[in-house]
Amino acid sequence: MGEFLKSTRFKVLLAFLAFLVGIMIYSVTKGGYSLSGVSFINTITKPFRYISNSISMKIEKNADSINNADAYYEENQELKKQIGELNKKLTNYDDLVAEVEELRKLVVIKEEHPDNIFSQPAEVMGYIANDPFKGFTIDRGYADDIEPYSPVITPEGIVGIVIDVSQHSSTVRTLLSPDLSIAAICSSTNTDFGIIEGTVITAENGMTKLTHLDKNHQIKKGDLMITSGSSGLFPKDHAIGTVTKTGIEANGLSAYAEIEPCADISRLRSVFVITDFDGKNDSTKEDTDEDKNNS
Amino acid sequence: MRIKTTREKRILYFKTTLRWIIYYLIIFSSFIVMTSGSWKKPVLLVPVALCIAINNDIMASAYTGAFCGLLIDVACGRLVGYNAVLLTVFCVASTLIFELYLRRKFVNFIVIAAAAAFLQCWLDYKFFYEIWGFADVERIFRNTTLKVWGYTVISSVFIYILFKIINNWLMPKEHLTIEEVIRTNQGA
Repeated sequence: MGEFLKSTRFKVLLAFLAFLVGIMIYSVTKGGYSLSGVSFINTITKPFRYISNSISMKIEKNADSINNADAYYEENQELKKQIGELNKKLTNYDDLVAEVEELRKLVVIKEEHPDNIFSQPAEVMGYIANDPFKGFTIDRGYADDIEPYSPVITPEGIVGIVIDVSQHSSTVRTLLSPDLSIAAICSSTNTDFGIIEGTVITAENGMTKLTHLDKNHQIKKGDLMITSGSSGLFPKDHAIGTVTKTGIEANGLSAYAEIEPCADISRLRSVFVITDFDGKNDSTKEDTDEDKNNS
Repeated sequence: MRIKTTREKRILYFKTTLRWIIYYLIIFSSFIVMTSGSWKKPVLLVPVALCIAINNDIMASAYTGAFCGLLIDVACGRLVGYNAVLLTVFCVASTLIFELYLRRKFVNFIVIAAAAAFLQCWLDYKFFYEIWGFADVERIFRNTTLKVWGYTVISSVFIYILFKIINNWLMPKEHLTIEEVIRTNQGA
């Protein structure tokens, strides 16, 4: 030991240590900047450090995954559960927003027609395959107090009539169909009336037709046609459609008008069914009474 | 024919069950396609029923035809049972035609499917539109009936290919191949 302390190697070692301490003190005085030598070393070793670092990181990652697999699995499951709950909340929120929107529309119609009793909003389950008159099925049936020949509407206007009811679904015939006739009156003139009935040609363009119109009518393009309520099938004063064209029938005896329905019948998502209203089936009752008297 | 072993019987039973499950999944999918959207669509259930009919016995094809027909009635909003009757007749007739006169070839199937689809579409037009005397009713035939028939014939090609794949995979072979005969003889 004594020999080593006296040896040249020890003195060189001390000198080197002193050099290092000197470098250390010098680097402290640089105020955060590294020494030029250090920068040089960093530059030279940079690509190798990248490679080695990436390899070691991967190894560490794999080792970490293996070591903490159980913990990660549990954490993953917990997060999945949380995501599921959040998605569920989001779905419920979207449903609520849609429902509120539907009910808001219903309130507006209800205010305009206080005598009408409406069903809950009915979703359109699907259109009847290849039906040129766009008939469709809704998800409400007799369990929801819907009866055959109940009018079907949207906030925009009349859509059609229920023709077939099962417990939880119903089939709707639209006003594009020639099988459905609606007594209508012009809202602006209030004197021009006729029968709205679909035809094969108008249905191709999503339109319907007003027939039996007086030749001296005052109806013009853009006028709104509303239900007259005289048939007992439809309540009074519901919008049906706007006039797009008028003309004289081929027989020359009456006029006609092409009507664009207020509701876009080929793109319906939800509708309301009017289950009861003032004057419902009045005409039918009268007919039945007349039949009884005649017999 | 050689006698089947218990294992072969089990495989046959499993394959037959699986085949029918797949058949009914295809029927269900076709029904879903037919009831979605408001555009014109092929009556997919007609070629599907025929595809099943030509590869099975009369009773199975009749039941399948009836089931597919009922689904068409629901999808098309027709009188329940109308298409069921129609498709049962088509399926039984197809089974008989393919058993007695025709080979199970692509062209034969397409001809039969086209004829059956045309009859179905034409009768639908007759009974649900023309008979009621709507004005310009022939436009429905031109613009709807013929288009739907065309789509149905086109879809028959894909349906035939689909069923061909399923049957190749899961249908029990009716006859032994030459290799199997040689192998069986060598075994004996």
